[in-house]
Amino acid sequence: MSETQFLQQVRQNQGIVYKLVSLYAANEEDKKDMYQEVLLQAWKAWPRFRGDAKFSTWLYRVCLNTLLTHTRANNRIEYKESLDGLSPTVENNSIKAQEAQRLQLAIRQLAETDRAIISLHLDGYENGEIADILGISNNNVAVKLHRIKQQLANLLKH
Amino acid sequence: MTTAGDADFEALLKPAKLSKLQSNGTLQKIRKNLRLNIYWGALVCLLYVFIICRYPLWQVQGALVIVLAFSLWAIYSAWAEYKKIGPDISDSNSLLDELKRHQRSLQNWIAVQKRVALFIYPISAAGGFMLGGFIGSGKPVAVFMSKPIVLIALVVVTVILVPLCHLLAKWMFKLSFGKCLDKLGQNIQALEAEK
Repeated sequence: MSETQFLQQVRQNQGIVYKLVSLYAANEEDKKDMYQEVLLQAWKAWPRFRGDAKFSTWLYRVCLNTLLTHTRANNRIEYKESLDGLSPTVENNSIKAQEAQRLQLAIRQLAETDRAIISLHLDGYENGEIADILGISNNNVAVKLHRIKQQLANLLKH
Repeated sequence: MTTAGDADFEALLKPAKLSKLQSNGTLQKIRKNLRLNIYWGALVCLLYVFIICRYPLWQVQGALVIVLAFSLWAIYSAWAEYKKIGPDISDSNSLLDELKRHQRSLQNWIAVQKRVALFIYPISAAGGFMLGGFIGSGKPVAVFMSKPIVLIALVVVTVILVPLCHLLAKWMFKLSFGKCLDKLGQNIQALEAEK
């Protein structure tokens, strides 16, 4: 498996990295650091990728495992400007873009593990898949999702 | 969701850049620290061997052999821990398993450091005391150490300095990795909580 193949796969799924890093990075410097760490860890793990799961699922797992174990100087999220990168590229639909931004802002206010759960859920992963990626039971995922949705609804009301 | 590009990320997606990337991960930092411990430990051991050969006084040689044995054990502990820590992120572990692996590695590393340090502090305190006495009094170590008051002072200095250094080390570990350990603990607890 070549470097070129790896980069091609990452390019096709770079939205996952953008989104997850934007959910966890505290500032611009942190974001660059996280991009580098995620890419390096994915590159090192790539020879072990056998294609049993989809590349996107594999990349999701590497991203989450890297981001949630990474040492950060500051855990407080400071920057807002990079949220532009999170909004859908639907230029003619500013309302949708605004809603997406509001949702992303609300997600960033959640606990770190809750951000991972809701992010996977919003990307269409089934509870069983989320449970497998996180290492918790299906039932626990369902309970947590219910609570997170309530929390997000409250956050979006204000 | 389709997302707009990010120049910082795209700049990294080049073969030349990729091969130059270096990890700044937590476990990588610990491994680097352990490597330094091993190098310095080996250097100190060589120094002990040199002193043992250079000064054929049985009291000094006896004490240094004990210290050397502890130092070699400390190097072995650091090496064993170094080998045990896989610095790369697992692509097969679940997030919970990976968080626990990081937490365990950090806790083991801190335990090794504290254990090693507890042997080094008394020796450092005694060594510093004797060297200070030798320079201050201008008399050989054996002469000024023969006074009971000096021996009592040595014990007092050791008893005060060792716990102080231990507390200082604990504080420094907390400063360096406390936040990271707390965060790992919180995330593990959050994932395991059935609510």
